[in-house]
Amino acid sequence: MIKKEGSFKYLEIKNISKNFGETFVLKNIHLDVFKGEFLCLLGPSGCGKTTLLRIISGLERQTNGDIVQDGLLISNSPTEKRDFGIVFQSYALFPNLNAKQNIAYGLENKKINKKEIEKRTNNLLRLVGLEKYSDQFPSQLSGGQQQRVALARAMALSPGLLLLDEPLSALDAQVRSKLRNEIKLIQKKLNLTTIMVTHDQTEALSMADRVVVMERGHIAQIGTPFELYENPITPFVADFIGKMNLLKGKYDKKNCVFYYLNNRFLISQNTEYSFLENCLLGIRPEDIEIIKFRKNIEKEENILRVKIKEITYLGTIFRLTVVLESKLEENIFVDVISNQVISNNLKIGDFIDIKLKKEKIKLFESNL
Amino acid sequence: MYFKKNSNKSFNILLLRILIIFVFILVSFFIIIPLLPLFLKSFSDNKNNFIGLENFINYIQNPSLTQSFINSLKVAITTTFFSVLIGFIYAYALTRTRLPLKKFFNTFSLFSLYIPPLAVAIGLIYIFGKQGLITQGFFGTIPGFDINLYGFNGIIIGEIFYCFPQALIILVSALNLSDQRLYEAAESLKASPLRKFLTITLPNIKYGLMNSFFICFILSFTDFGVPKVVGGNFNVLATDIYKQVVGQQNFAMGATISIYLLVPSILAFLIDKNFQKNEASLISGKSIPFKPRKNLIVDSIMFIFCSLILILVIGVFSSIVLASLIKIWPYDISLSLQNFRFSNVAGNGYEPYFNTVFMSIYTAIFGTIFVFFTAYLVEKFKPLKKIRMLIYFFSTLPIAIPGLVLGLSYILFFNKPSFSVPFLDFQIFNPFSLLYGTMGILVLANIIHFFTVCFISATTTLKQIDKEFEEVSESLKVPFYKTFLRITIPLSLPTILEIGSYYFVNSMITVSAIIFLYPAKIPVSSVSIVNMDDAGDTASAAAMSTLIVLTSLFVRLIYEFTSRNVSKKSSVWINPLET
Repeated sequence: MIKKEGSFKYLEIKNISKNFGETFVLKNIHLDVFKGEFLCLLGPSGCGKTTLLRIISGLERQTNGDIVQDGLLISNSPTEKRDFGIVFQSYALFPNLNAKQNIAYGLENKKINKKEIEKRTNNLLRLVGLEKYSDQFPSQLSGGQQQRVALARAMALSPGLLLLDEPLSALDAQVRSKLRNEIKLIQKKLNLTTIMVTHDQTEALSMADRVVVMERGHIAQIGTPFELYENPITPFVADFIGKMNLLKGKYDKKNCVFYYLNNRFLISQNTEYSFLENCLLGIRPEDIEIIKFRKNIEKEENILRVKIKEITYLGTIFRLTVVLESKLEENIFVDVISNQVISNNLKIGDFIDIKLKKEKIKLFESNL
Repeated sequence: MYFKKNSNKSFNILLLRILIIFVFILVSFFIIIPLLPLFLKSFSDNKNNFIGLENFINYIQNPSLTQSFINSLKVAITTTFFSVLIGFIYAYALTRTRLPLKKFFNTFSLFSLYIPPLAVAIGLIYIFGKQGLITQGFFGTIPGFDINLYGFNGIIIGEIFYCFPQALIILVSALNLSDQRLYEAAESLKASPLRKFLTITLPNIKYGLMNSFFICFILSFTDFGVPKVVGGNFNVLATDIYKQVVGQQNFAMGATISIYLLVPSILAFLIDKNFQKNEASLISGKSIPFKPRKNLIVDSIMFIFCSLILILVIGVFSSIVLASLIKIWPYDISLSLQNFRFSNVAGNGYEPYFNTVFMSIYTAIFGTIFVFFTAYLVEKFKPLKKIRMLIYFFSTLPIAIPGLVLGLSYILFFNKPSFSVPFLDFQIFNPFSLLYGTMGILVLANIIHFFTVCFISATTTLKQIDKEFEEVSESLKVPFYKTFLRITIPLSLPTILEIGSYYFVNSMITVSAIIFLYPAKIPVSSVSIVNMDDAGDTASAAAMSTLIVLTSLFVRLIYEFTSRNVSKKSSVWINPLET
């Protein structure tokens, strides 16, 4: 885990659990969030990420555990006594108030004079680039503009913590990627500690300083986007962040060899794996090479002869789905640069040899 | 490690809890607790001695009284069947066919909602009664036809008039929820029209259908107005209660019959509630509304059917107006306004009319505030879940409490200046007794009598308002009551107006809940219709009915006008990017 220079733990989540009756939604969650950090809670629906966010905001109450924000124990504080701003997936903009009134809603309740409110509201409108739209009602704004109003409203009281609950998922792809950058810029400019919930891994990887991958109510892995992609510690994380082929086989620890059916693969000796012989071999599609036209393949290691079952065009690359003759139902994905497929005239039904790069192979404990 | 503790106290949550408990106490005292003295009374004699089940046994052993029970059931079952059938065909025509003049048929079908059942019955007298237009063949110009109005026939016709629009409203909204795609899918699979009807239409509206059965059953089982006027010798439970209480001052027997009236209603209510519990929307947000195709045969049949129904509705209303304007039906059919004087009859001049108007205004104002606030507390907040569920249950209950039963229980509860605590020699002052003998008790009875429909409509609207508005406010440190005033009320304004107008109109036309309750110094118009009719002064009763209907229609027009303005104003919030 990295800790940035000069940053301190702003939010500490200690052993948080939540259950509805018999069912556990969250189990013993430990998490530290540093000042000024952009943290993403990433996971499939039902993994508990939104519940965790709502517990941090006090909108939901944990069954067990504590939360400390800025040195203050807030575990049982009501929402209105906590220091945060929130943007919901639906934005929840007040439809009968215009953009400016929406943003000023929280300020008007404080004992601040009108001029000050006006000034701060205008600043916020400028910050999110909506000066021209201050008199428009939410229904007159586009999805992206509504999202910005919601963001400005959440920041109006200058909270110490910004919570974003799937803030971009209602937007179309183009607006989404534009807003990603804007939110990130504003967040860095204000050095605002931010927690965002998302199920979209690209969003998490492109925005977050650190990502918390959640699975069925617990944290699967915490790390920078780079760490998660390069060194996933479970097959779940490996396949959730990017794509990973997982082959079930046997690991011979002494010789650093993995047996998959009749094939043997050499495993890099740099990593020590401590687990039992039954395990999973993981390799990303881009770490598999096609060696169809290379000579002397007998000398090469980690070769598999496979048949092409499907070819999917993805722009700069093709993704090939290949199978072993002896195991037709197990798909292996191989990413190949487009012109390699075109120049070699690869077709469905062709037999090719693929090579799994030794240093890229990872082993995972098989829980099956 | 030691951390400084943040404040755990929230004034807002405390305030919310207090409000929820306060509303709980109110609904308990207005809905549930008044029923207890009624139950007690049914187990006592008129000197308040406990006599166990004696009243109930006396009742069963009295053949004329048990006949009333059977009669009430007969009326209710027949009315329910016909009202739902007619309501369904009419609703089907409005929603699923290319019926010509649809808007016209839609508007006027609900016309009879503004006519008190009492007035419907009076209208029927002028059409089918001994001197009626049809019976005498339009003052002897064509051969007459006697349908034997007084008795079962008259009650059934009157009740259908009363219940049909209620069924219609429910069924129109059920049929409106449709998905064109389902029908297209069925068509692509070569399903016959009957198969489509049985597999798509019916399953989609089964909850609405069940609900309309339930509403019509309760309304016709417990109605007092129609049988009072055209029942003749055909006794039903409601008229029996009236006779026992007003005629013989026998409160114990009145209470006993009330229980016989209450139990089937509550039973029907529970069956319906249990049925509706399983309701799951079959229509998703992505549904495409059904667009009926032209079908000359079906459209023509529907046109004829709907026209017939409308002619009857308008005919009844016209005959009331006509009767009120004709000097001495059928002997001097010249027009005059003398029937509107109400001076020489059992009517107290215009006093009852104005009392009723004020009562209806108060009911509309206080009822709307109370019902909306109750629904808001139940729907929008998390604390005290069990108590909120109880409030919800209590709020849905009044629809199953017949007006007469509510009225009788209010007398028994509110006229007690104090309660004695059982087994202790101790008396508690009953603060609600201060309402007894004032306009307040009439307003309260009306508020509760029509509570359920208003409560459900408020709840439905509040459900549609994003729950996250409250959460956002909390995160912005804005207390809930500010959000209530600034966001929730403006967004709910159309429904609030609707509830107000519903309360007004129903308070104008109701008789059953207030006939036992009205203080002698505050006569009300619906009761004076009963009295004028009893005294044989039917023309004045018709005149008073006309006034009530016109007032209701006038208020409804004001409502339509205001709500149109409101929706014009709020359209900018709702219509996305139209400019």
